[in-house]
Amino acid sequence: MPEEITSQDLKERLALIETMIAEGRKQTQSWGWTFLLWGIAYYVAIAWASWGSSISLIGSHQLAWPVTMIAAVILTIAIGSRKRGHPATTKVGHAIGSVWMALGISLLLVLPALSISQRIDAHTFVAVVAAFLGCANGTSGFILRWKVQIASAAVWWIASVAACFGTDAQLMAVFLAAIFLCQILFGIYAMSLDARRRRPQGEVHA
Amino acid sequence: MRAAADHREKSMPELPELNPVIHGKLRLALLSLLAGVEEAEFTWLRALTGSTDGNLGAQLLKLEEAGYVAVQKKFVHRKPQTTYRMTDEGRIALTDYVRALKQLLGASINA
Repeated sequence: MPEEITSQDLKERLALIETMIAEGRKQTQSWGWTFLLWGIAYYVAIAWASWGSSISLIGSHQLAWPVTMIAAVILTIAIGSRKRGHPATTKVGHAIGSVWMALGISLLLVLPALSISQRIDAHTFVAVVAAFLGCANGTSGFILRWKVQIASAAVWWIASVAACFGTDAQLMAVFLAAIFLCQILFGIYAMSLDARRRRPQGEVHA
Repeated sequence: MRAAADHREKSMPELPELNPVIHGKLRLALLSLLAGVEEAEFTWLRALTGSTDGNLGAQLLKLEEAGYVAVQKKFVHRKPQTTYRMTDEGRIALTDYVRALKQLLGASINA
């Protein structure tokens, strides 16, 4: 044995191991800004699609969604690569990142295809987008056991079902409210949590 | 008297040795931190342990020399970045260390 050890010392070492393993596992990457960015992108696309045709400089409102979404993808990649990666990666972090990447690919494939084939209307569009976002938020929320994100998923699921009914005006109200709650508000909340988590922890010396 | 001592020695289970490489508090903390992640940067390990660059580097080098952690040095956005991950040997060593700790604690409770 390296030195004379007391049972208190042994207990302290076991506690240290447990604390440090838990500390490592609770590391998550900071992606709150993407919720905010995409929330703003949805609002820009909706505003452009709704009122863009009356402003000649903005061009055809049919381009609103594809152009805004492509711009949001480029911005996400650009900002993501400029921000330094999280200093510790976990399997949970990889799993959640993969879910969101798969969501992005799915939406970027299926929505343009539906649009080109002209087999989509505003109600179907919102129902599909909301269902996908509910699925990704739900998966992340259940993995992280994060009630706020599970609540966000629930809002998207409700919006998805509500989009199948009602008038166009009601549809717009539901979609705008869901974006505000689940993208803008949730994004700001996640960013404020990230900022609080970055405070240094206790010290351990050799 | 002698027979009683012999009997006591035979009936007592052999106490395990604690791995001296892991036993240092900072090295134990580092290995435990790395057990919870896939890989981690030097700066993250420094922030969580509150250690100085020199001490942290020295302790990580000892773990690296023992084959318990693997180091990767690269440049990200033209800045040097050193990341560490736990090796399979490191995981086995930490598991054995925890087992030995528990055995010793059990022995001290029974004593």
